[in-house]
Amino acid sequence: MPSSGAAHYDALWPRSPRQAKVKPLAQRLDTLEGKTIAWVWDYVFRGDEVFAQLEKSFKARYPGVKFLSYSEFGNTHSDKEREVVAALPGKLKALGADAVVSGMGC
Amino acid sequence: MTLAKAASMGLGFPNAPVAPVPGHPGLQSKEVLQKNVREVTLAGVIDNLLKAPKPVTLGGEPGARDVICSGSFEEVNEHFIANQLSDGLPIVPPTVEKVEAFLHHTDRQPDEVLGVLLPDNRAATVWSVAVNGVMAGCRPEYMPVLVAAVEAMADHDYGVEHSGNTPGGENLIVLNGPIIKALGFNYTQGVMRDGFQANTTVGRFWRLYLRNVAGFLPHKNDKATFGNTWRVVIAENEDVLAKIGWPPNCTEFGFKAGTNALSIGRYTGGNHISSVSGATPEDVLPYIADAVLRQYSWQIMFTVGQGMGTLRPLLLLSPILAETIAAGGWSKEMFKQKLFDHARMPAREFERILRDWTQKPTWDLAAEHRAGHIPKVFHESDDPERMVPLVFKPEDYMIVVTGDLGRNSCYVFAHNGILGYPVGKEIKLK
Repeated sequence: MPSSGAAHYDALWPRSPRQAKVKPLAQRLDTLEGKTIAWVWDYVFRGDEVFAQLEKSFKARYPGVKFLSYSEFGNTHSDKEREVVAALPGKLKALGADAVVSGMGC
Repeated sequence: MTLAKAASMGLGFPNAPVAPVPGHPGLQSKEVLQKNVREVTLAGVIDNLLKAPKPVTLGGEPGARDVICSGSFEEVNEHFIANQLSDGLPIVPPTVEKVEAFLHHTDRQPDEVLGVLLPDNRAATVWSVAVNGVMAGCRPEYMPVLVAAVEAMADHDYGVEHSGNTPGGENLIVLNGPIIKALGFNYTQGVMRDGFQANTTVGRFWRLYLRNVAGFLPHKNDKATFGNTWRVVIAENEDVLAKIGWPPNCTEFGFKAGTNALSIGRYTGGNHISSVSGATPEDVLPYIADAVLRQYSWQIMFTVGQGMGTLRPLLLLSPILAETIAAGGWSKEMFKQKLFDHARMPAREFERILRDWTQKPTWDLAAEHRAGHIPKVFHESDDPERMVPLVFKPEDYMIVVTGDLGRNSCYVFAHNGILGYPVGKEIKLK
C-alpha cells in the first residue's frame, strides 16, 4: 500500500489471552496385547466402518486386545454432545478402558 | 489433519497425535476405504497408542493491551493482514483512544470476560470487543450491540465451536427495539444489503471477532468448503409489527416487545421467494410453504438425526406480505402453525434424504418415533406416503418482518440446527 503521509497509529493486539495451558498427554501403552481400547465417534465420515476394519487388523496382530464400542458412549457430535463428552471420563474408567481412539475428523 | 492440529492447540494438547485416512471416506468404495485403513491408518493409530509424542510449548503472545504495530495507516494494515488479524479489507487502526471511546458506551468493565470461545479458547473480554469494533469501522455508540452479540456468540446453545464446519454457514444478527432507529439501522428496502454503516460494520465485526478471538481462520480452524461472506445485520420493522399486532422476534427469546435485543442464528444459505401473490393468507400460504420446503435438503438431519428437533427455519416477510396475512385474521402463531401443517413431504422422501446424507442404509421414522426420539406427527400411520413436517413443532419456525415496504416477497434461510442454534440477548445501554 502506498503511504498516506503523516498520521501515526499505535495499534493494539485484537486477540485476547488463551485460557488453556498446555497439558501433558496420557502415558502411552507398552503393548496393546491384553489392553482395552475404546472407540469414540462423532457418527460421521464412516467411522463405524473404519473402526471395524481397525478392530480386525488389531486382532490379527494382538489377539488379546479388547474393544469398547462407540455405542457405549453416545454421539460426540449431536444435540447431546456436551453431556456425552462430560460423561466420557466416568464411563471410560467404569468400563476399564486403557486407551481411547476418537474419530472422525475431516 | 490441519483442523485437528489447530483445534487441539486451543484445547491445551498441541501435540495430540492424529492418524490420517487417505482421501475422503465419503467418496471411497468399501474396498478402497478398508485398504486405506489397513495400509495407512492402522500404523498411525498403533504408533499413537504406543509412542509418546514429543512435548511442546506454545510460543508467547502479546498481552491483552499491548501495542503490536506502530506506523502509518497503510503500515498498520499491512501488519494486520500479514499476521492474519484482518479480513482483507482495510481496518481502522485500534488505538487506545479509539478503544476507550467505545468503552465509554458500556458499564461493563474492560477486563470482564463475557465467555470463553472455542476453538482458540480465548477469553471474550469487553476490551477485545471494543478493539475489534474499532477495527470493523463501528461507531463507539454501537458498543452495547457488540457486547450483546459476543454474549450471544459465547452462549453454549449457539455452539460457536462449530463455526468452522464443512457447510460454512454464516451467522445472521436480527435486531429489535428502539435502538434500531436510535443508531440508524436499516430496516426497510435492501435490509440485507451493505451500504448502511450500522448494519454493515456490526456484521463485519462479527466475523472479525470470530477470526481474532474465537480463532476461525481459513485454512486452519475454519474448514468451510466454500464459505460465505459475513452477513450485514438486519433489523425488524417494528412500526409494521405494531400496526398488525404481531410480536417482535425478540419475544421468541423471552424479551418483551420494546426491549433492545438481538438474536443470532447460523445459516448455510437462503433464497429470495419473489412475488408472493394473493389477497388472503390462504392464497399466499401454498407458495410460501412450498418455498420453505425447497430450501431444505441435508439440513433435515437437524430435525431427525444428529440435531433431533433443532432445525429452526427463518422467514423474512416483507411488510405488505405480513400485513396481508395478518389482515386475514392470522396471528404470527397461526402462521407458524399453517407452515407446520403445509410445509411437508412424504415420509419416504424424508427418509431418502437422510439416507443419502449419512450413507446409513436404513432410516425409519416409525422406529425413531417408537424409540421416543421424535414426535408422533412423524408417524401418524405406516403409509410411506404420509406427509411429515420439516420441524418438530410449529414454534420452531421463526418469522421476521422487514425489507421493502412496497414489495410482496419473502426470504427463507436454511438453518444449521445445533451448529448455530438461535439465541437471543438483551442489549443493555449505559
